[in-house]
Amino acid sequence: MKLVVNGNEYVVDAPIGASLASILRERLGLTGTKIACNEGHCGACTVMVDGVPVLSCITLAHTVEGEITTIEGLREHRLVGAFVKADAVQCGFCTPGQVVSAAALVAANPDPTTEEIRHAMAGNICRCGTYPKIEEAILHWRD
Amino acid sequence: MARLIRTEKEVEGNFEEVWLVVEEDPLEQWPGGPGDVVGRPALRKDALERVRGEARFTADIQLPGMLHAAILRSPHAHARVKSIDFAAALALRGVRAAVGPGDAPGLEAEAGYAGAPVAAVAAETLGQAHAALEAIAIEWEKLEAVIDAEEAVERGLLHGEPERYERGDFDRAIAGADVVVEGTYRTQVVLHNSMETHQSVCEWIGERLDVYTSTQYVWGVRNEVARELGIAADMVRVVCEYMGGGFGSKNSAGEYTFAAAVLAQRTGHPVRCALTRREENVAAGNRNATIQRLTAAATRDGTIVALGGEFVNALGWGGWSASTEGPLKILYACDNVRTTRHTAKINTPPMKAFRAPGFVEGTFGLECLIDELAAKLDVDPLELRRKNYASSNDGTPFSSKNLAECYERAQKHWDRRHDVRARSDATWKRGVGMASQIWYGGGGPPSYAWTRVGSDGRITVVTAMQDIGTGTRTAMAQIAAEELGVSLDRVEVSLGDTARGPYATLSAGSSTTPSIGPAVRAAAADAKRQIIEIAAQRYDLEERVLEIRDGRIVSHDGNLSVALEEFLDMLGSAQILGKGARGPNPTGMSVLTFGVHVVEAAVDVETGEVRVERVAAIHDVGRIVNPLGAESQVEGGVIQGIGHTLSEVRLLDAETGRVLTTSLDAYRMPTIADVPEIVCEFIDKPDEHLTNLGSKGLGEPPIVPIAAAIANAIRDATGADVHELPISREEMLRALREADRRKSGAGLQSVAH
Amino acid sequence: MELLRPSSLGELDGGLFVHGGTEVVPLLRDGILEAETLVDVRGVVPSGVDGNRIGAGTTLAELEASSDVPAALREACRLAASPQLRNMGSLGGNLLQSTRCWYWRLKYPCRLHGGERCHAAEGEHREHAIFANDFCASAHPSDVAAALLALDARVRTNRRELGLADLYRLPDEADRRTTTLEPGELILELELPPVEASVYLKAMDRKRWAFPQVGVAAARSAAGTRIALAGVAPIPWLLAGPEDLDAATPLPRTAWKVDVARALVQRALTDLTDLR
Repeated sequence: MKLVVNGNEYVVDAPIGASLASILRERLGLTGTKIACNEGHCGACTVMVDGVPVLSCITLAHTVEGEITTIEGLREHRLVGAFVKADAVQCGFCTPGQVVSAAALVAANPDPTTEEIRHAMAGNICRCGTYPKIEEAILHWRD
Repeated sequence: MARLIRTEKEVEGNFEEVWLVVEEDPLEQWPGGPGDVVGRPALRKDALERVRGEARFTADIQLPGMLHAAILRSPHAHARVKSIDFAAALALRGVRAAVGPGDAPGLEAEAGYAGAPVAAVAAETLGQAHAALEAIAIEWEKLEAVIDAEEAVERGLLHGEPERYERGDFDRAIAGADVVVEGTYRTQVVLHNSMETHQSVCEWIGERLDVYTSTQYVWGVRNEVARELGIAADMVRVVCEYMGGGFGSKNSAGEYTFAAAVLAQRTGHPVRCALTRREENVAAGNRNATIQRLTAAATRDGTIVALGGEFVNALGWGGWSASTEGPLKILYACDNVRTTRHTAKINTPPMKAFRAPGFVEGTFGLECLIDELAAKLDVDPLELRRKNYASSNDGTPFSSKNLAECYERAQKHWDRRHDVRARSDATWKRGVGMASQIWYGGGGPPSYAWTRVGSDGRITVVTAMQDIGTGTRTAMAQIAAEELGVSLDRVEVSLGDTARGPYATLSAGSSTTPSIGPAVRAAAADAKRQIIEIAAQRYDLEERVLEIRDGRIVSHDGNLSVALEEFLDMLGSAQILGKGARGPNPTGMSVLTFGVHVVEAAVDVETGEVRVERVAAIHDVGRIVNPLGAESQVEGGVIQGIGHTLSEVRLLDAETGRVLTTSLDAYRMPTIADVPEIVCEFIDKPDEHLTNLGSKGLGEPPIVPIAAAIANAIRDATGADVHELPISREEMLRALREADRRKSGAGLQSVAH
Repeated sequence: MELLRPSSLGELDGGLFVHGGTEVVPLLRDGILEAETLVDVRGVVPSGVDGNRIGAGTTLAELEASSDVPAALREACRLAASPQLRNMGSLGGNLLQSTRCWYWRLKYPCRLHGGERCHAAEGEHREHAIFANDFCASAHPSDVAAALLALDARVRTNRRELGLADLYRLPDEADRRTTTLEPGELILELELPPVEASVYLKAMDRKRWAFPQVGVAAARSAAGTRIALAGVAPIPWLLAGPEDLDAATPLPRTAWKVDVARALVQRALTDLTDLR
């Protein structure tokens, strides 16, 4: 299996059925992608494939064809500073997934409205309840 | 000087008398209001690594040769293991060791609930470990299971004796009252569902055990593991630098830690044991359900003369019984109070503390009933609360209480209700409701901190506390910066490791800032004293004319002004070390937090949909160290409370006792789309009797009043009394129907008259 | 396990089809589905909207943003699942998703799994069916299926063409399946007849990312008005008219769903009138 992650090409040998999340975390050491539910319900494992946010915990690694972007590939994104500045992080376990979803949103729509943010971010559960700050971070991501 | 005192120690509203060695706390409090650093918004010291995914959580720990453990759990609500055979499991590829009942603490032959841990296996991969569980041959003896709490109470299946409390003469007060209201309220089981599941990685190095664990209490885990494994506490090192949420569920070690430790010992490899999300929803603790039969009585002028409550805490197989009657006893001035609390022992998963345990549930019942009383008295609910203001906790003075000011600030939000109601239409009815908050949060000793100042003039605070996501690392840095007269970016905090810092208390019970903050300040003050002593010698000045301000050592006459790093440069590799300890709480005083929420809600009377549109949250928790972090805490508590109120419920199958809502599509926590406008206000007055800081905790207060405030807004909007959480469409439609019946019944009565 | 990635329909030969994987992957992990061979069908299922034809491989996210599909379908997609799931999940897969009944998901030996009992009917069923629930009380969770049923969509598979209603069947003693697809049969395309106006309304207990408690789709065409419901029966449920709700057979704890359905059907019909 060949994966392109954050612009780097990796060749990985893994059994069919392995999730993309497990390959990223355990084989490639990219532990910024978190697994919180491991069944596609919470969004903590969100990565982009060709710019589209998907759930890596229920993505079969062998079926991935496009370029993968994880939080490690977004470390210099302006959203990172926006999240820090807005205090859009509490425990931080869901936060990398939030940033990935947000990065896809602002790439497609650089000036999202509050409603658009809420629609696009609803698949990323945050148990600490940082949502108001996440909304603020995305609204002002370029400031 | 160290002093030995006998004192009452409070954690999560639980009290015990203990001997405590405390140190004096001679520092004067800073004046109220923002200082240079404390009281001003601060960005989190550890935000960047958390946002960028660099923070290493327990879930991210990968050690060489690490094995993965999985836990076998009881499929039965009550059963005993008759025999267990690991042979087939151990024969599978990759499987290294297995432990059963009695082999590791927490694994027991008697399973008191479906999901109780009985055995564990370690294998090279998690998949192999799970496969091995299937291969364990186990024979069960099924025992009688009781799932229903009321049945358990009837049959006397209780944890301990019923808890009874009485002051005054309840019966006589009821008999003499003008108005009596009664109501039965029910609250559901809810689950913490921290994003990082409960987990530990254990590694033996020689005779020493390293435990990486997702915990709210590194010292608690250290002591528990040492005690259970029979080794010296100092041989156990517990590490938790970043953790993915706890909310009360991670205050102790747990079977996953013990299983990992024992399996690591047997295999000679590090072992990870992590709960799956589904296990998390079964066996990681919960806020227990309650049943509350409440009575309130008042005279016509609105004086509450009696409050009574019969409570059932449906605790499950284990846990502890929180004070559901607490708010009823202490929120209002009322001479006649009677409460009884039964703690049902049922064959359901054990309770664990969950963000203000007891008071969240009890406030829902009490504050809904107070509004029903107000309606019956035809008194403004805010006025009724003001009229029955408690000026002491049953005779014990409060260390500080600014609830009256909270009510004052609530007025402008409360006054919006006419406009809010006016925005109702045929289907969407709008209204405003309020509820008061009372809870603990004063913290207490012991906790310690060190400060380390190097020749570069940078300060490291060293304390083996943990930041569970609340921002306490940042608050500690602010406190040290303020005391040392330096900017926040000059201070780092080293935490989360029992091997590299002194004892600090658990991050639960809204106690981190009020417990550890004063110790950090004392440690910073100690370092500052030493710096000034040295400076006095160096510049031949008296210590009393020197201070550190804006990162410079300055003399009062202005003749000396030298940058701290410039002055300390002479230290070379030498360091200035400060130490500090948390002093005692004020004796003979009740340390509590207060607040009020005003909620605007809308109800679709045809479909039962409830929308929370605006929440004003006003809290009195003493001095606010970081207004930005405090606001985040309040928003988080409010949002978690909205989930508790509207959408979250753990469901069990009554026949098998098994949890049905094990996944996050079925257990529904709020999303970003569910968040209302949230307005936060803080009274921000230091508690002059509480420590050198005057701060109380804020983790829990914001989740306490939200459910009742929402229910009261619903009543204001529709006239319907909801008596059960969550306020699902089913419950909402039921309450609306009942209100309609009441209305038409009242109509018929007046016709008959 | 092996993974095949055919590039033409002719190569299909058994195995378990997987497209977005949002349903198949979790069910495989839980052992509810079993397979030696997984067949990634993305190479053979058409995607995209072409006039009144929609490729079954089109994702929900694509449909949500498409101005070329009727409003009810767009709205059903917009309110379905989570953004990531909509990015992954295909239209065809969505139509074939299984119930969220917790007993079924947790592998209780229920009737849908071939067993003797409906655990939900006797147990915890507050989110379950109000129609056709005597054998199995599960509720069908597809918003999209209800919308397409109201829109009177036709389905083209690699073997036949059929009305969407004929894709579904109620489980019974002899056959526990809820669809009529045969092994090896694959949905390729949906075809929509002309429609004048359509709406989709959804009751859920979060504002986003929840399966329907009750979903109501209504569509008006030259042939008349069709109403279909999600979340009320083991399969997507067609109503002849609002009065059909009087014939609902709710379980003790699902009676509230009838009230919700009644209100939403009324609103949907009013909305359709307003769209005239």
